[in-house]
Amino acid sequence: MALSKEDFDKLAVLSRLRFSPEEAEEFRNEMDDIIAFADTINNAVSGGTDDIKNTSVNAVAYTALREDAVRESLPNEKILSNVDGSRGFFNVKRCVK
Amino acid sequence: MREVLTVLSDMLRKGEITSQELTEKYISAVEEVNPQINAYVHTTFDFAREGAKKADEMLKAGNAGALCGIPMALKDNICSDGHLTTCCSKILRGFRPYYDSTVWSKLKSEGAVMLGKANMDEFAMGSTSESSCYGAPLNPRNTSHVTGGSSGGGAAAVCANIAAYSLGSDTGGSIRQPASYCGVVGLKPTYGAVSRYGLIAYGSSLDQIGPITNSVKDAALVFDAIRGVDENDDTSVDYNYGGPSANALTGDIKGLKIGVAEEYFDGINPEIKDAVMDAVKLYEKNGAEIINVRLPILKEAMPVYYIIACAEASSNLGRYDGIRYGYRADNYEDIDDMIYCTRSEGFGREVKHRIILGTYVLSSGYYDAYYKKACILRNNIIKRFDDIFNTCDVLIAPNAPTTAPKLGHHGASAVEMYLSDICTVPVNITGIPGISVPCGTDKAGLPIGMQILGKRFGENTILNAAYFYEKTAVSPVKEYEGGVRI
Repeated sequence: MALSKEDFDKLAVLSRLRFSPEEAEEFRNEMDDIIAFADTINNAVSGGTDDIKNTSVNAVAYTALREDAVRESLPNEKILSNVDGSRGFFNVKRCVK
Repeated sequence: MREVLTVLSDMLRKGEITSQELTEKYISAVEEVNPQINAYVHTTFDFAREGAKKADEMLKAGNAGALCGIPMALKDNICSDGHLTTCCSKILRGFRPYYDSTVWSKLKSEGAVMLGKANMDEFAMGSTSESSCYGAPLNPRNTSHVTGGSSGGGAAAVCANIAAYSLGSDTGGSIRQPASYCGVVGLKPTYGAVSRYGLIAYGSSLDQIGPITNSVKDAALVFDAIRGVDENDDTSVDYNYGGPSANALTGDIKGLKIGVAEEYFDGINPEIKDAVMDAVKLYEKNGAEIINVRLPILKEAMPVYYIIACAEASSNLGRYDGIRYGYRADNYEDIDDMIYCTRSEGFGREVKHRIILGTYVLSSGYYDAYYKKACILRNNIIKRFDDIFNTCDVLIAPNAPTTAPKLGHHGASAVEMYLSDICTVPVNITGIPGISVPCGTDKAGLPIGMQILGKRFGENTILNAAYFYEKTAVSPVKEYEGGVRI
């Protein structure tokens, strides 16, 4: 299924990615091929509508849950060590004017 | 193949060399060889020297593990406290994790010595390591060819003897395929056998950490050191292997039931097919039973894998917003604009492809047709492999349709590149273990790899089958002559 320009623009917003008009066109064409490839699962013999309704998507079994207990946190200064954290927060430029 | 870790461990214990002397040898080798192959993207030599000093104390005290004092490399997506870990992406430029991954924590407590972080495809998304923001690593066997990917730097470092072993991660073949292209051994353990805590996530239901080594015994020794349940990874499993896997290597394969599926050989280069089938004959000659099995479901594995991997990636990579770590765009107007600019400037092309595809297959209206259908087919593929392992102990298959392609020549399109992963992705979809061992070279002298696959938690069986081949086959691949030669 070809990806319309409108749909591509919506996906870009959902993905928080921005493309120039030329880039968007190039990406959209490439995505057409990739989606056509993904579409080949619809040639599979199994996995019809009833299966879709009745099957859980959890392929991985999560069995080991640890006790819901408070544990020591990482120190604030370590968490902030990768950014400007001079006031004890994740600082960004002023955005409310 | 050389059992580098056994030899080094013996030398260190007998006092024939100290860890500090050995580490200096490796550091000199990295400085000499790395500029030619770009295997390491960050080096941690001072940290390695500190680690070697501690290892020598442990060795002296007589409480050293098998890997104590031995220099190694971590893939650039495995966290270690305070050391650059960037997934070879601009968006994680300058990121220094503030905690150790469980695998590194285990190795460190055994006295391992980390030389640095190894090159990889950006966020482990690729099959050649060419999408690294630091440029591609080069294959030490022939530097005009790729190393494979995504753990290409780690495979190159082990091959070129500038790391005694490395840890990689395998989401769709990223340990086994570069090991195969570089002529070394790569083990992708069972999903859940090794903790993923501290592995920067790509496809969480597929990712698994494992060793890249010079020999099968080396792979078993590293697997023994890193496996085990972890309270920080609730998908990790407390499985009883009945002792160290390295001790289970006997090389006895009499009565081993080996499955061979012709579907694995569709579209495979004839030289690779011949090499793998010669290996199968060697097993048969030595008492294994060969069983032909059918796997028509294999062709469904590729779209299933890419739909699930990209869906998980689009979710996992949502965290890169420029606020808490890594790259932040210089110019922006408000918070939303900052997130858009940071992500658009920070992510490379292939990562953007996969985020968009993942977002598409999870979006309302397409979720059932793609993501949910892929999950159903995944369950069917799991069931089919389970059936096969009810009659076979292992499956033998090629690792990739070709040997290492030339740099810049790996598929004309993204889809062509995806299709090259056909031999490796079923292992990740099903969560089973797989090992890649060298099984010859093509006419150009490039290594060919063979995969041995087993049932979940069947590492001992596949390691033993690989060990037999390594001991019995005649010089499957020439040793690399540079780096630290012991």
